[in-house]
Amino acid sequence: MKDISRLFIPLAGVIVLLLAGCSDTSENQEEADADAGSTGSDETITLGYYSSGSADEKMEDIISQFEEEHPDITIETQNSPYQQFFQKLDTQIAGGNAPDVWLSDGVFVQKYAERGAAKDLTEWIDNDLETDEYYGLDFNKGPEGKYWAVPQGIQIGALFYNKDMFDKAGVEYPDDSWTWEDLKEAGAELTLDTNGNTAENAEFNAENINQYGLTFFNITEGWMPVLKSYGGGVLDEDLQTSVIDTPENLEAVEYMTDGMERGIFTDPSDLQAFQSPMSPFPSETAAMRIGIYARTLAANETGVNYDVTVLPKGPDGERFSPVIANSWIINEDTSDAKAEAAWEWIKYWVSEDDVQRQWAELGEAVPVKKSVANSDMFLNSGEKPENKQAFLDSFEFADTLDVNAVWSEWVDQMTDNLNKTFLNEVEEEEALESADKDVQQVLDEFYED
Amino acid sequence: MKKNFHKNRKKIGYIVIILSSLIMFTPFITATLNSLKTYAQYTAVPVEWIPDPIRWENYSDVWQMTDFALYGWNSLIVTVMSVLGAILSCSMVAYAFARLEFPFKNSLFFMVLGTLMIPPVVMIIPQFIIFRHLGFLDTLVPLWILEWLAQPFGVFLMRQAFLGIPKAYEEAATLDGCTPFQTYWRVFLPMCKPQLATLTIFTFMTKWNEIMAPVIYLSSAEKYTLPIGVLQMSGAWFGKEQYLVAAAIMSLIPILIVFLLTEKFFIKGASSSGLK
Repeated sequence: MKDISRLFIPLAGVIVLLLAGCSDTSENQEEADADAGSTGSDETITLGYYSSGSADEKMEDIISQFEEEHPDITIETQNSPYQQFFQKLDTQIAGGNAPDVWLSDGVFVQKYAERGAAKDLTEWIDNDLETDEYYGLDFNKGPEGKYWAVPQGIQIGALFYNKDMFDKAGVEYPDDSWTWEDLKEAGAELTLDTNGNTAENAEFNAENINQYGLTFFNITEGWMPVLKSYGGGVLDEDLQTSVIDTPENLEAVEYMTDGMERGIFTDPSDLQAFQSPMSPFPSETAAMRIGIYARTLAANETGVNYDVTVLPKGPDGERFSPVIANSWIINEDTSDAKAEAAWEWIKYWVSEDDVQRQWAELGEAVPVKKSVANSDMFLNSGEKPENKQAFLDSFEFADTLDVNAVWSEWVDQMTDNLNKTFLNEVEEEEALESADKDVQQVLDEFYED
Repeated sequence: MKKNFHKNRKKIGYIVIILSSLIMFTPFITATLNSLKTYAQYTAVPVEWIPDPIRWENYSDVWQMTDFALYGWNSLIVTVMSVLGAILSCSMVAYAFARLEFPFKNSLFFMVLGTLMIPPVVMIIPQFIIFRHLGFLDTLVPLWILEWLAQPFGVFLMRQAFLGIPKAYEEAATLDGCTPFQTYWRVFLPMCKPQLATLTIFTFMTKWNEIMAPVIYLSSAEKYTLPIGVLQMSGAWFGKEQYLVAAAIMSLIPILIVFLLTEKFFIKGASSSGLK
């Protein structure tokens, strides 16, 4: 073995160089930033977004168009896949290093707002945007009436149905007259066991199903629309009190558990047999799904022959469509100059028809600008589904998912309890009672100071 | 009779080994088969196990659509620096704890072990702030530098290895004029190759597959490591998940190579020690 110093000294040298190299560049970077700030004209802002679909390339493309039109603003991007993006963002916010402007999932806007990470945009929105021209601005309002974010694209729920399966079973396509009971009845004729019996047949085997009537998953594309159209829900208007343990919710949950027991709806354990809980509809194993707009991508990818219509009504004629307005948030801690540059970007995004059109072409989200969403380009693009109008019609009875600062936390509690009754482990009443207690505890822990 | 029983026992042993390795191997085989399918086949219900046609193009597509080589190179830097750091720093610290005398030795050792009990999540934000002040954000440094500061698991592993070597070696080395450092480097370290191999594989695997730290510290695409580079594509490959599987298989290959290279040390392990 060679003498130790021969190995160690060069190695130590390499490390010192690597370290010095790194810290050096970043110091220079900071100096450069400071210089730019002092002249007051050129601004470099960091923009964070989570990767979604094939949209990243388009996002970078739109950013460079923006930079061309705003030569005094440079945008540096940070992007990661969804889950990692928000992990990183939380760390960055705690470490005081968050991007100047970022794209937030709609359900997290209040979390950032109430924790002081998001800038209050009320004044800018009132001054610079015609609020009537856009979908979804109000979905980012907190209970105190302030705007915390501006929608980047809108996800709104509708009923997807597989035309081929309906034709084969000789069932009429769903329309806006349907109630949830109608859906279950049609679903029964569309549910097939391995022997080809429908759920209406006496010999039907609910343990061995080849084709489901409705795929049913989690909150947005599962229990929330049903609860709400039955007149129930999770939180009251101040978003700090649970209203889970009500007769309306009980009726809704009994409707769902009955559907699952009869094999018409997928229950949480059925979904585990699939590559992803999203795959039953695109893989043609389910005749219907409650789906947000983005689900059209996977259905188009596998070439399902399908269309959409508005979600069914509850027993009293009430209708509900879940909406998630994924939105731009400006960092509360960023400098005024950078915040203004970030606002330029947001304005550019929502108000430029051309940008809205380019984004809509991806088929990722319903455009924020009403004029673009109602144009031929969006409604009659030639891509399925034919009845895209259903998504726009749904805005009339759309609302958010009772989003507050501890949304993820209470959804976990609610889901755990509901899943127990969906899997027949506890009675419906018991599940709601226990969910009510658990959710209220989460709310109290955050709001009660 | 007895011979027969012995023979049968060997047979049963083989059957158990073959069965258990089949179970272990199934996910790997499924993944490999999935990586050769089209999306329609990949999501088909009921499952179609055998890809038809076999799409080898999935692999070349992945290679063309990502900066696979660049991400691989970044991963290699991180992993090699980490392995070097872990081997050197852990073994030095461990040697001190095992063979040298100094005040509070045992309490200090328990403190080192105690840090194993701190859940990693609580350290994320403090570490982020420290690295930010050091100007290491968006560089590869935070991904390997901690390994140069003697991680407790490695220290424990190497200390046990050093403790198992008879004192006579140390005395012999001292008689031959070795300083404590030379004793460590020339006598003790070479005798602990199996443990060093273990540490190498452990560090290599953790660092090669690490996701959390690269996600938090890296922002520019040209610095991405393989797992994060591949993950990055998961959005763009929505509806083409077979590519993700192919990419995952491709990024497995280096681990297999390292394992095959270090494997003989594992097997040599126990037998090579002892005074002759």
